[in-house]
Amino acid sequence: MADHQAIIQGDLQDQAVAGHQSALGQTQTRVATLPGFVTESGFKFETIEVSYQTLGKLSPARDNAILVCHGLSGTAHVAGLDPTGRPGWWDYHVGPGKAIDTDKFFVIGTNTLGGCNGTTGPLSLNPQTGRPYGPGFPRITVRDMVMAQARLVDHLGLDTLLAVIGASMGGMQALTWAVHFPERVRVCVPIATCTAHNAMQIAFNEIGRCAIVTDPDWNGGEYTETRFPAHGLAVARMVGHVTYLSELAMARKFGRRRQADAADARQFSVESYLHHQGSSFVKRFDPNSYLCLTRAIDEFDLFAAAAPEAVLSRVRARFLVISFSSDWLYPPGQSRELVRLLKRAGIAASYINLDTEYGHDSFLIENPPFAEVLRHFLNGDHPRIHPHHHGEPL
Amino acid sequence: MNPGIYATIAQWIPPHSRVLDLGTGDGAFLEQLIRERQVTGEGVEKDAALVTRCMERGLVVHQGDIADGLDQHADGAFDFVLLLGTFQELVQPAEILHEAFRVGRQVILSYTNFGHYHVRLQVLFQGRTPVTPSLPTPWYRTRNLHFLSVADFACFCREAGIRETRRAFFSARREIRWLPNLRAETAVCLLDGTAPPRTELP
Repeated sequence: MADHQAIIQGDLQDQAVAGHQSALGQTQTRVATLPGFVTESGFKFETIEVSYQTLGKLSPARDNAILVCHGLSGTAHVAGLDPTGRPGWWDYHVGPGKAIDTDKFFVIGTNTLGGCNGTTGPLSLNPQTGRPYGPGFPRITVRDMVMAQARLVDHLGLDTLLAVIGASMGGMQALTWAVHFPERVRVCVPIATCTAHNAMQIAFNEIGRCAIVTDPDWNGGEYTETRFPAHGLAVARMVGHVTYLSELAMARKFGRRRQADAADARQFSVESYLHHQGSSFVKRFDPNSYLCLTRAIDEFDLFAAAAPEAVLSRVRARFLVISFSSDWLYPPGQSRELVRLLKRAGIAASYINLDTEYGHDSFLIENPPFAEVLRHFLNGDHPRIHPHHHGEPL
Repeated sequence: MNPGIYATIAQWIPPHSRVLDLGTGDGAFLEQLIRERQVTGEGVEKDAALVTRCMERGLVVHQGDIADGLDQHADGAFDFVLLLGTFQELVQPAEILHEAFRVGRQVILSYTNFGHYHVRLQVLFQGRTPVTPSLPTPWYRTRNLHFLSVADFACFCREAGIRETRRAFFSARREIRWLPNLRAETAVCLLDGTAPPRTELP
């Protein structure tokens, strides 16, 4: 069945899908150097670098821009192939004729502040020392990430975004956009996310952080390429990866099968898979960045400063909230609670809980029901939210 | 169903009202209300495929089971709550009606009349659970859980302290004005809950 194929195939972020073709062909990632950025904690960067890519054409009225926010380990490379032939993390859903149609929309992908894929983060050089910030990188918040994105949007010469779409950590960013820039966001699409982590979500992140900081090569975060806490980072990713899947997806994908080509013939396929996930993550992610980002999302609380009705009172965007029934890391109840608060604040919010089996990763893999919802919402919405149709929400 | 039903309901809803459509299906009627009566509307629908169709129409839609309540909505958020065609399928119709009156001032509801003479004749002469044009599914497959007549519903409203401020009755082809409990296949009513409904409905 096609459904099972999608589970086995997995996502484009962690697995190089053999022979994956992209209608976008090769796409480019650029870096914008933006002067003067102060974090919420008061840390002053003289400049920040923000990695981004744009796909599709900006309309003459500049009203078709969609900002796509990635999850914990994503990059600016949303769709198309990079020079090595690697597809973007959301190539299944972004491209010509796809759910987020680059023939209609001007799509912006950007790496988050604090990340390690082109945007300023712990790997960046500290101009004071000439060495990477490493563990000295300031604590940042989801709001800081969004402020950096807003600086990029300014840099691109855009006042308003047609939509901000994000899943997981990206969903928190989308929510923050709608709250902090009510005039700049017409549509907000938070996917498989929440307004604040619960104890279980913090707990899984803490297991990951613990694995990293107890690695013998951690050295207080001052590691080197030769003495690198690879083991700790790999274990963190293994735990994380399990939380992104579902019991059913794992049963389908691995069952109790053994890995025939493993050195130890008794090794289960799932063990081999997790080891592979761990070691491939080590090649593309930085441990200090992992700590920085997981801390930021654990600290995130949309309603920390004020009651929901006060926080949401300024919001102007229409919402589409999406959850997945098999997502036990960001369970549908969190999305329903978000929808409840939005509706009670008088915000036009649509909600769908998709009965897909792939767990939290449901948004990352090839998933036709999800793609249909996104496509119909964006296309159905587009004419009605055009400025001259602005007014009473439908 | 008789298209006159929708025309009648549309007339009962003043322009620019706030409408919540429970069991909105593919959203066709809600879209019509928005277009023709300039209402502000949104729907609740259980079926994900139908929810997607609503989104295609640009409607605000919430995927959920109305049996779980309408907690996502504040008290008095709507002028009208529509409950069309599903009333007799609800496990706890009284509770849902109570919840509808919490979020809306008035409720427009439709149901299939079990007092229709086809039904009476089949029960009387064949001694079987009726299968009629308006009740087309046999007992082992029907989604109807409750079999109520126009007379039953009037009695229910009296006991629940709900006022039926407007009523209309329909057969498959025409509006029925005379002897509705005997001749109507579908009943539509506008219910007023402005007088606070009893906390415990019967």
